[in-house]
This record gives sequence, structure tokens and C-alpha cells, in this order.
Amino acid sequence: MAYVATRGGERAIAQSERLFREAMGQIDMTRVAELKAALPYLVDRVMGEASLYDEDLAALALAQTGGELYEAVLVLRAWRTTQPRLGVGAVVEQGTLFTHRRISAAFKDIPGGQVLGPTLDYSHRVLETDVLAGKPFAPPLVDPATAPAPAYQPSVSAWQAANDLVDLPLSDKVAGEAIADVTREPLLFPSKRAHTLQSLARAETGSVLALGYAAMRGYGQAHPTVNELRLAEAEVMVKHPNGTAFSAGRVKVSQAEVVSKQGEKLGLGFAATFGWNEVKCISAATLDLNAKGAPKGSATEEEFFLYHTEGVEASGFCIHFKLPHYVTFQSSLDAMRDAKAKQVKEPAE
Amino acid sequence: MTMRDHGEMLSTLARADAGRIKAFAETLIDDLGEITVVESRTGLVMLPMRDTAGGTAFHLGEVLVSEAHISQGGTIGYGMRRGRDLEAAMAMALIDLAAACGSGADACAAFCAQEAAAQAEQDRQTLRRVEATRVDMETF
Repeated sequence: MAYVATRGGERAIAQSERLFREAMGQIDMTRVAELKAALPYLVDRVMGEASLYDEDLAALALAQTGGELYEAVLVLRAWRTTQPRLGVGAVVEQGTLFTHRRISAAFKDIPGGQVLGPTLDYSHRVLETDVLAGKPFAPPLVDPATAPAPAYQPSVSAWQAANDLVDLPLSDKVAGEAIADVTREPLLFPSKRAHTLQSLARAETGSVLALGYAAMRGYGQAHPTVNELRLAEAEVMVKHPNGTAFSAGRVKVSQAEVVSKQGEKLGLGFAATFGWNEVKCISAATLDLNAKGAPKGSATEEEFFLYHTEGVEASGFCIHFKLPHYVTFQSSLDAMRDAKAKQVKEPAE
Repeated sequence: MTMRDHGEMLSTLARADAGRIKAFAETLIDDLGEITVVESRTGLVMLPMRDTAGGTAFHLGEVLVSEAHISQGGTIGYGMRRGRDLEAAMAMALIDLAAACGSGADACAAFCAQEAAAQAEQDRQTLRRVEATRVDMETF
């Protein structure tokens, strides 16, 4: 038995890629624009998991991969490495978020009130099958209020801290390049908090939900209540060469705070991500809430959930099993045959 | 121009409509004379956020931006906008340069005021629609 050099798959590989891409046909700017307009929440999800914010690129990645999400995120992360980093923006503070939706399940009367924003939470889940019979679905438009909503609101936890319900640590003074970055440093355990939250921000939505749901069902120490869920836009604050601070534009972000009773105070979990993705934020914040003191190997242990929610690594490891393992598998068969032969030679007495 | 005014002008230009900013910048080019292009490229800006539970600053991810850095006789013009429209970033840098040189300052101020008003109105309309979703709760 030895490693065997083989050849002969080139044509099959080339044709198989053609077969995959043939199904999607020609991709042009019209398709990218349509995907961006029709599927903003999917575009958001892909941008969050790729940790690269650009709707056009995310829509293109979806078009090119036929919506195979792991491939879409991978191609975006690969593209990201071709670009120079021009700088680090100013830290986004909650009070500067241009807020579209802000609700609390913990307190009815939060300062600023409950603003539902865009959501299907209270809608009937009815498939509009008439569309397939040629009748367009034209949902009614919003009746705008006379006065605008306040654009900016502090976090609910800041209000709770003022009412002695939670202990909030002072904000760290770390900024710019000094902020720990998992794309440039290895993830080590116990993880730096900045690494944990960045990893969750770019984690795969389904994986985060699965582990967060495990914690919610009782495989964790704390049951979450949504203290604040917010969909907003954040300013990307950069600097002119002369030092003037300005916004290079806005990006959509989601954030969730979850709470549970811890002694005489409330314990807090937090998560945020690019784009509007509520399930991911609530699940990730639940994992954050449960991480402290979690048993080794449990779904809520930091090392367990951070390693298993990294979508590119997880899907990459999964699909590598499709690649030829002829030698290792053959050695397993040899071991099985040897064991069988030994049994025949030395029958049990 | 104060630093705050300058910051507001740049923020307005970064968000300005791409077609309008390019068209306006075209009108400034002849008066600006010879310009040195220091940088015209796309790149990434890492965006950190504050964690309200621990007070920690952490990275959300990187934002694709276009950057233009130009100069003329020691005066700098700079543009950075979200997205990959290099021409729009260059238009922003040209307006910044023209405003700093003083030659096109009034026209630039007028353009920025017009764009700022359009952006404020757009935000107002967005927030009126958001306000329509406010819950007025009543306890029985």
C-alpha cells in the first residue's frame, strides 16, 4: 500500500463546473440588481457571515453560486482578501444608531417606546399562490405618521443601569488597530471578549440558532428575555487626512441584548451583526449570556460554540469528506481484513 | 470653515446622489487646473461597535469603500464613500479641493446645502414610516 499519483479528472472537473453554472445561465447587472432589490434579508445574511458589507457584491455572490450560501460566503471572504484595509472606523455607539426598529420583551414602557419597524412577526403566514396564476401580489403601502420617529435612542441596558437593575462596566478605551481582530490573530481560549463578539457577528446563522436554541430549551444555565432588539443603520465614521471626522455612509446593523436574573441584578448577553438578522442576534446573545461558567463540551461553552458556528470552516470541513480518501479508507479495510483473518487463524476457545 | 462644518460637508458628499455629485464636480474641473492624484482605489474600512453588556469595542466586519485623494499646490482634496464607485469618490475629492481652494467655495456650499436638505427630507420620510409602527399599549 502506498500513495498513488493519479490523473485523468481534468475534463470531468471542467465539465462539472460548467454543468453547475449552466443552470444559472448568463449573469449580468440586471440580475444582480434584481436580487439586491428582491432579497434584501438574504443579502444581509450573506454580508454578515462574510463580514464584508457591500450589497452589490453580496448579490453577485448569490447570483454566481445559485444561492448556495456557503459558497456565496466563501467567495465573498476570498474577494475580501484582495482589498487593502484603508483604516478602522470610529466605534459605533448605540446612541448614534439611526433606528428603524426597537422593541423590548422585558419592559413594556422603555424610554422611546416600542417601535416595531419592518417585521412579519404578527402577520399571517399565507403563501400568495395567486401570483403563480398570474395575479401580482401588491401589498398595501404604509400610512406614514405625521411626525417622524426619533432617529436615535440609547440602549435599554443604559436605562436599566440608571435604575440599578444591571451593573454595566465602563466602556473600554480601545480603538482603531488596537481592537483585537480574529481575521488577523488566532482565536485562543479563554477568548478575548472582542474575539467572541466578532466571531459571533460573522458566524453562520443556522449554526448559531441551533446552539442558541439548545440553550433556550434548557441545555444552558440561563433562560433569555429579549431586553432590546434593534434594527438600525450605523454611520461609518472615518477621517480626512487633515483629521476631520466624517461619515463615509451608513450600513445596516442588528443588535440584541438578552437578560436573565443573576442574584439581585440582571445578567446581560449581547450580540450584533452586519445587516438585519434578528434570529442570529437573539441566538448569539443567548450564547453570550450562557457562556460564563458553562461546562466543558456543552453547547454554551465558548470554545464549543465559537468553533462550531464558523460557517466557512465548518462547511469546508464537511465538504472535504467528499474528496478522495481512497488511501485512508483502504487502510481501514486492510485493518478490518487483518482482524477477520486473525479471528479465523485463532478461533475463540 | 470649522472642522465641524467640514465634517458635515464631507458626510453630505459621501451620501450624495452619485449622478448629481459627478455632474456637479464636472463643473469645477476647469477652474481647478492641474491636479495630482495621490490615491484612487477601493478598499475596506473595519467597523467596530460597542458591546452594551461588557463595554468592549469589537469588530462587526469590513465595509467596502472607494477612496480618492488628490492635491494641488499643497491643498488636499479627499473623498471616501461606501461602495465601489471610484468616479463618485473622485467627484467628492474634487468638491473638497474646490471648497478648500476658495475658488468654488460658494457653489460647493450651495450644492452641499441642497444635498443635505434632500438627505434630511429622505430621513424624515423614513422616520415618519417608522413612527407609523409605534405601539400604543393599553393595560386592561
